[in-house]
Amino acid sequence: MTEPSGRPRVALIQFPGSNCEWETKRAAESAGMDCEIYRWNRPAEGLIAYDGYIIGGGFSYQDRVRSGVIATKEPIVGTLFDQVTQEGKPVLGICNGAQVLVEAGLVPGLHPGEVEMALAPNRPNPKERLGAFVCRWVYLKHTAGHGRCALSAGMPEGYVWPVPIAHGEGRFTTRQTDLLDQLLSNDQVVFQYCDASGRIDSDPAINPNGALANIAGLCNPEGNVLAMMPHPERASYLRQLPYELNDDWAAQRLSAWGNAEAMLQPGPGRLIFDSLREALLKRVPA
Amino acid sequence: MDLDERILPISTLSDEELQEQLTALGAGLTPFEARRVAELIGRDPTVCEISIFNVEWSEHCSYKSSRATLKEFLPTDAPNVMLGPQEDAGIVFFTEFEGKRYGIVMAHESHNHPSQVLPNEGAATGIGGIVRDVDCMGARVIATGDPLRFGDPTGTNGEHCKWIVRGVVDGIWQYGNALGVPNLAGDVYFHDSFDDNCLVNVVALGLVAEEDIIHSAVPCEAFDEPYDMILVGKPTDDSGYGGSAFASKIIGSEEEKAEDRGAVQVPDPFLKNVLAMRKANEAVRRRAKELGLKIGIKDIGGGGFACGSSEITDAGDMGVEIDLDEVHVGLEHLLPEVVTCAETQERYVLAVPATFTPEVLRIYNEDWDLPNVYENAQARVVGRYIPEQIYRITYQDKIVCEAPVKAVTSGIAYDRTEQPREYAGTEPQFYQPGDLGETLLRVLGHMNVCSRAYIYRDYDTEVQGFAVIRPGEAGAGVMAPLEGSPAAVALAVDGNPLYGLIDPYWGGATAVAEAMRNVSAVGATPAALTDCLNYGNPESPESFWEFRQGVRGIADAARNLPLKDYEGAPTPVISGNVSLYNESAAGKAVAPSPIIACTGVMLDFSKAVTMALKRPGAALFMVGPRKDELGGSAYYQAMSLGLGRNVPQVEWELESNMMFAVIDAIQVGHVAACQDISDGGLAVAISEMALGGFAQGKLGATLALTAGQMTLPGPESEEQFLRPDKWLFTESSGFVMEATPGHEPALTELFDRYNLQLVKLGEVTADPSVEATLDGERLLKVGLEQMKEAWLGGLGRVLK
Repeated sequence: MTEPSGRPRVALIQFPGSNCEWETKRAAESAGMDCEIYRWNRPAEGLIAYDGYIIGGGFSYQDRVRSGVIATKEPIVGTLFDQVTQEGKPVLGICNGAQVLVEAGLVPGLHPGEVEMALAPNRPNPKERLGAFVCRWVYLKHTAGHGRCALSAGMPEGYVWPVPIAHGEGRFTTRQTDLLDQLLSNDQVVFQYCDASGRIDSDPAINPNGALANIAGLCNPEGNVLAMMPHPERASYLRQLPYELNDDWAAQRLSAWGNAEAMLQPGPGRLIFDSLREALLKRVPA
Repeated sequence: MDLDERILPISTLSDEELQEQLTALGAGLTPFEARRVAELIGRDPTVCEISIFNVEWSEHCSYKSSRATLKEFLPTDAPNVMLGPQEDAGIVFFTEFEGKRYGIVMAHESHNHPSQVLPNEGAATGIGGIVRDVDCMGARVIATGDPLRFGDPTGTNGEHCKWIVRGVVDGIWQYGNALGVPNLAGDVYFHDSFDDNCLVNVVALGLVAEEDIIHSAVPCEAFDEPYDMILVGKPTDDSGYGGSAFASKIIGSEEEKAEDRGAVQVPDPFLKNVLAMRKANEAVRRRAKELGLKIGIKDIGGGGFACGSSEITDAGDMGVEIDLDEVHVGLEHLLPEVVTCAETQERYVLAVPATFTPEVLRIYNEDWDLPNVYENAQARVVGRYIPEQIYRITYQDKIVCEAPVKAVTSGIAYDRTEQPREYAGTEPQFYQPGDLGETLLRVLGHMNVCSRAYIYRDYDTEVQGFAVIRPGEAGAGVMAPLEGSPAAVALAVDGNPLYGLIDPYWGGATAVAEAMRNVSAVGATPAALTDCLNYGNPESPESFWEFRQGVRGIADAARNLPLKDYEGAPTPVISGNVSLYNESAAGKAVAPSPIIACTGVMLDFSKAVTMALKRPGAALFMVGPRKDELGGSAYYQAMSLGLGRNVPQVEWELESNMMFAVIDAIQVGHVAACQDISDGGLAVAISEMALGGFAQGKLGATLALTAGQMTLPGPESEEQFLRPDKWLFTESSGFVMEATPGHEPALTELFDRYNLQLVKLGEVTADPSVEATLDGERLLKVGLEQMKEAWLGGLGRVLK
């Protein structure tokens, strides 16, 4: 449970093929949490002792069958599922973690345990790139209402922020014709791809993988589970934001030139981890 | 135990018969070499022994043609070297932090031939191998760089070339991204000499504390207590059997290629992730350190288990007894020569105290559950080290190999002859184009100049979270990989094959200078080099001369462009690779292609600068005189003017001073943006600064040039005016800088101290266009939008 220090404890689930454990741990710890990397074959019941969870990026089980699906068969994901649905503990899924949450039926979670959506292969843009994987900086708009999702509660509604994506299969899609309407009316669409001014458009320059309704992040109806394809841990320090974004963040970085401490100030991605910390503290009074 | 009865009866065979039998065995050894093997072991060798010597003595493993040249020329030592090129990777001093000394591990390899016949697997296993090289030094793998040379996608073999490009790029991202190693640098050139033999080089960097360095050797403690040989990783199969020999011959006909595909290894980034990426291997190392035990680890790559197991043994001056029956295999009924020589990927060989063995096995097989991560992957004890320097392998109650360790590892050497190749090309005669703006767009859109985003968008540049400057934002990538420390490392890779075609010496020297310039232009100080030397058949005296000239050029540059702040010590070459026999079946060698990687260090990452223009109104300066050096230039290529002759040369003192001055100027904050001048010359350098790394630039530049600036330096009587088109596009070395507002006088003064003349070019403008005037008359004006289209779309136009 919560440390005597008052820092909440979060477990970062590690599968074979996970590859973002350490930077995600850093980002979580910078936001004032204790974060422990929890290997897939450790006892599943050990997870109960944590206040919340992160499933980070990578290629768990080599993306066999479908990205994220094999990981959902591990006992620890069963325990996590119960903790999240029964105890209401928060869980943040980033990239491959988002794929795991969708495959586990936690997101969109209208019927927990049912797989209602897929993260399909990117729609390639042959003008822009050779292959199917895409690594680049995009902008997200926080389109959910303020406080709708515990994992983005620290962000104002309508907040536009830069963050990198890196995935081959990140296109939120579904075969259920009325699902999108439900998600929108439930206010479960937390993040949508947009341009620097916040404009949401299907233009591949803006919607990098062709996701349905530009969806980049979705929460469950209860708002304690967030699945997002972009990597907030890679936008957690000013240092990580490219000058070439040519936006306010880049201007801030330019003015921090020569000042390492200023460059280690939070980037916009930190707000996700701050939100997670607040959600954990709310659940477990120190 | 008896010797295996499968013997090659060398002593009874004529040379012709022996050659026949060697060919039947698939061995590349010559009869002379096979007889030498028999001499060394004192009897006719077993088939297994012949196979082992065959890989150990291949060009790829033994450097039999190149070793003497490398020794003769290359400077490998300097005060900042922590480990020179004797092991899998070199190590250069990085920084001190919390009482520990940290080094950057650098390794550089080629995977040219495999990538030509199986592009995806070839490129992927190239990354796999280089990552093992860095990992086995005890380091965390923090970055890769990918220098690529492809055939001409617009030429007669265009479709095949595009197939190779696609496969190679897919292989790189599929392996590197899955593993979780960010791409930090790379470059790409297209030229028809690579049509039948692409070059796929790969560089990897690691971070290691000096106290954590692990050597690829049995520790000397093994003389006092029993040490086990542990083989860990994927079960051995027959994949990659003959790989090193394949890398050491010319790629043949289509039928031969089909056969050679079997010599390409099979990649598995997933298993590698569990072994190498701060998981199982690191757990073993950490535990050994906690217990105060000395261990050795070596990667198994080219030459397979035989190469790895004999070299780790020899490096500790010991011997080993290996029980091949204990090796975990992925196929049944493998012959002993296959188990020893197959290049199955994702394997390491360890030397650990026998008392530690049970824990090592538990860490791999239970904690990290290798057998369930990949079918039958595991760690197993396969032998024990012995004081007697014998390399003995038993299999099914027979001795299949018994030879002095040194005989196996010391290889063989050849004195090849060199013969200069005359270059007949001349400078083209042509008029200055009427519309230089149109010309600039053509150069910017040329496949050897335009944006590489089309390729590197597939590479993960952000994983691990250490990025400061990513590929595309500047000529070198920068990362701050040591948590808590502001120290940063920069990486650039370079080597213009067209320069090498005209003059292999300057091809080598300019590759070094350009890599160092790219590192300097972000504000980092060049600290060490690696080289990958890609040439044709060394048995051809002209190809061998090209190789020798390239190495001479590299060595001269490394010595004459010394380390900064180390009193003239050379910039050391701490690791490298030689790849020969890069030719088409028709005997056409690739353009001589030494590829150089330069690592730079900086104490404070926050001082790094990118090339993108930053502030309207800021002054633009250039250092580096323009000369008539358009041989091999992007300008000549874009205008279809042939290669020319006047290849850029390096004036050592000028070059060194320019780099040092630029580094100093960036470090004290006089410079807000910097770009070195290379492909496409000054005109392209300025355009790229306006475009910014991701073509998100919004600013432009005006250059107010004068005829005086275009007059070549020299005695007054020989003064010569360099035509504006040539002046703008010549590839003479230099830098363009945007001054920090208010710092202009201090910047000029700083360059004065280095005896360098800064040329004021003009200024940054809010108007998004690049404009140049000559004594007030417009030379060109091009809008940023047009430049974006030409530059960003360049690769898509030729590759799709």
